[in-house]
Amino acid sequence: MPQSKFTPAQAEELAAAFAREGVDYLFIGKSGAILLGYPETTQDVDIFLPRSRENAERVLRALRTLGFQLDPALPVSILAGSEMVLMKSGPFALDLIHAPDGIESFEAAKSRRVMEAGRFPVASLDDIIASKRAAGRERDLSDVRRLEQFKSEYMRGRKS
Amino acid sequence: MKVTDEEAWREQCRRQLERDVPTRIKYGFCHVHKPVLDDAGFRAFATMAEYRRWCEDNLPAYLGYRRATAR
Repeated sequence: MPQSKFTPAQAEELAAAFAREGVDYLFIGKSGAILLGYPETTQDVDIFLPRSRENAERVLRALRTLGFQLDPALPVSILAGSEMVLMKSGPFALDLIHAPDGIESFEAAKSRRVMEAGRFPVASLDDIIASKRAAGRERDLSDVRRLEQFKSEYMRGRKS
Repeated sequence: MKVTDEEAWREQCRRQLERDVPTRIKYGFCHVHKPVLDDAGFRAFATMAEYRRWCEDNLPAYLGYRRATAR
């Protein structure tokens, strides 16, 4: 069980720790959409990472500074590039994802990212929707319609 | 005039877009125990296919982690 829900202070600490260690990453999934203004709720913070051992080493250093107690098997999995790592016993619930469905590559997603509030790199709304549509789970498909409606309000706000 | 569910939702979106990121985070993240999924400190899956299979084989259906066509 995570110690708490993800708080604004933890978000600032995560962004600062990842920046300090030079981690390449994007918020993705519903957590990313929430940072962009999607008025829904979630439990987990979803982080999209490139397939890079050096970046994985930076992530591990940052996670330790954030208070994650890393089981000895966990760094091995992260360094090996496991495509999905679910971390449930840290300060907050964190999912590390190397290969989200529906997105061709980290670099492509990074080129389309939004730097929300100047410090939170978030996958584009189109990539978040594409990923959920491709995953095709019941929970994702129920989100897609609402995300599409949110997108039209989001785009209207960006134009004005 | 009666406001439709969609219009109410769109209005909710507009209001949330006006809030700053810390406020979006404050109200956007919650702490709910998900059975099975939260019962291990961590789980790692070499591939997304392996992760999807594990979800379909192990998680209660009501959590919604199964593919829409899996049932």
